[in-house]
Amino acid sequence: MPAVRSREISSAEFYKLRGEVKTVRPLAEGIFDALTSALTTPLTPQESSLEQDKKGGDDTPAEITVKAESYRVALEDFNQLYLDNRWGDGLPLIPPTPDAVKWMLSGTSRNPYEVLGTINPKHGIATIEKIAINAVMAGAKPEYLPVIIAAMEALADETFDDLHFLASAGSFNLLVVVSGPIAEEIGMEAGIGFMGHGWRANNTIGRAIRLATLNIGQTWPGINDMALTGRISPHTFITFSENTELSPWQPYHASRGFKADDSCVTVSPTHGESQLNHFYGGMIGTWTALGVLDRMVEDIVRTDRRGLFMWGTKGIGKYPGSGGGALNHLIVLFPELAAEFKKMGYDQPKLQDEIYQRTTIPYDEMNHAERKAIQTAMELGVIPADRKAVFQAALNPGAKVPVLISPENLHLFVAGGVPGCAFSFNYYRVPPYNQTSLITRLITGATLTKAGTTGVKSVPYGA
Amino acid sequence: MRKKSVELTVLNPRGMVEAKSAFAPNPRVKDLAGKRVGLYSNGKPGMDNFYTVFEELLKKKYPTVTVKVLTGSFEITDKDAKDWSPQIDTFVYAVGD
Repeated sequence: MPAVRSREISSAEFYKLRGEVKTVRPLAEGIFDALTSALTTPLTPQESSLEQDKKGGDDTPAEITVKAESYRVALEDFNQLYLDNRWGDGLPLIPPTPDAVKWMLSGTSRNPYEVLGTINPKHGIATIEKIAINAVMAGAKPEYLPVIIAAMEALADETFDDLHFLASAGSFNLLVVVSGPIAEEIGMEAGIGFMGHGWRANNTIGRAIRLATLNIGQTWPGINDMALTGRISPHTFITFSENTELSPWQPYHASRGFKADDSCVTVSPTHGESQLNHFYGGMIGTWTALGVLDRMVEDIVRTDRRGLFMWGTKGIGKYPGSGGGALNHLIVLFPELAAEFKKMGYDQPKLQDEIYQRTTIPYDEMNHAERKAIQTAMELGVIPADRKAVFQAALNPGAKVPVLISPENLHLFVAGGVPGCAFSFNYYRVPPYNQTSLITRLITGATLTKAGTTGVKSVPYGA
Repeated sequence: MRKKSVELTVLNPRGMVEAKSAFAPNPRVKDLAGKRVGLYSNGKPGMDNFYTVFEELLKKKYPTVTVKVLTGSFEITDKDAKDWSPQIDTFVYAVGD
């Protein structure tokens, strides 16, 4: 955009000095004249011209033909070309030939040209066809495609903050959880090793979503994906399914208003610097349900209390509390543990309430700064109107103050085998750059499975 | 030289990016005295610190200037632009953690 005047401070200078007003002062003083001059110097004819801004869009061809002396060489050339174009993830890709993409699209009844929305940071348009191309490249099978589409629909939702986890220096990651009968039908592994390698459905669904975000949103490390350390599980995000067979509870999505026999995908970013909080279980040592619950509570209190001061700030973006005003906890329970909780009388809502109550802090033990942060959070709207009365009542001697906005900020999934382990991820309840940090989406349009067929209609590819 | 007998036709995985309408920039203000200056950022503490100093310097040099602090994502939405444009005469956009 040549019409926009830019004046730059080097990142080496800015990042070192930005921490305090007094340290950043010399930088502001040094660039002050240049900035005020940029605001007041008349536009040049070139700056005023519209012609220079008419370029844009994407001029790369819709299809490419690689010619070689053998298939081996053609495959190698294709892989190198895609990586050179920043269309790959560093692992070998399956060539997305028109025939392979048509085969992939046989897994959905949805129109290949249907637009789901756009993906950040470049607002690339996510169509069913583009998702299918990336799914082929990832090595997925057509029966996985409806799951991949549902995840991409969630990421492309106009309220969802996909920009932060895809681009932030904090090396954030993405959790993708499939729940409902389609998971077992397409062969997702939910038992021992469920987050690991060797499971084509888990691994290639995650890889297809990773490639689709990379290619549709057009991100690249160090260019506009600024994750400083990269991500753990960088080629597949963190993708698994609930263990419906062994879970004593209804699937997670039932707690989000879907029917228990629906099939859904839930997506949420996770923090980069605290990937996984371990609560033990299984073979690691002897365990009791109450012991695991205690560790969960300790972890949440420690983590969330440390962040309480952020509740009293306006947040990073334009939404109150964005990027710091309280957390979502994404807790994965192993089936035996969930069964123990069930014996103790807990279903998911009751366990959410129990954890919420146990993580409250006595008002009398809070320091002045913590109390003030909660008070300010009510005034700024960081604590939403429908939870204000709870916090108003809690800010009194003898009362207990929640460190979570609501029990609904505890998301309980059941996954893993026997034995298993309990652990959690967390992320901002309100993300930095949009309204929503967690979406559960119904899987629709499946043609090769019994589950996920809602909304089936026949739309041929290439018609 | 061996004949290139294998052809592999593959599809482009990239999402198309819609070219945005181009707008001619507004004429610049002649000076900042008495003007309303918007300071936009993605709201990170480092930018807040920078703008604190910048605002102080602006008001020192142009005592009649007024400043409106604006925050949002990396991109200014059309809605925000419509809301803010009547409230400011010129603005600085900056992002930084």
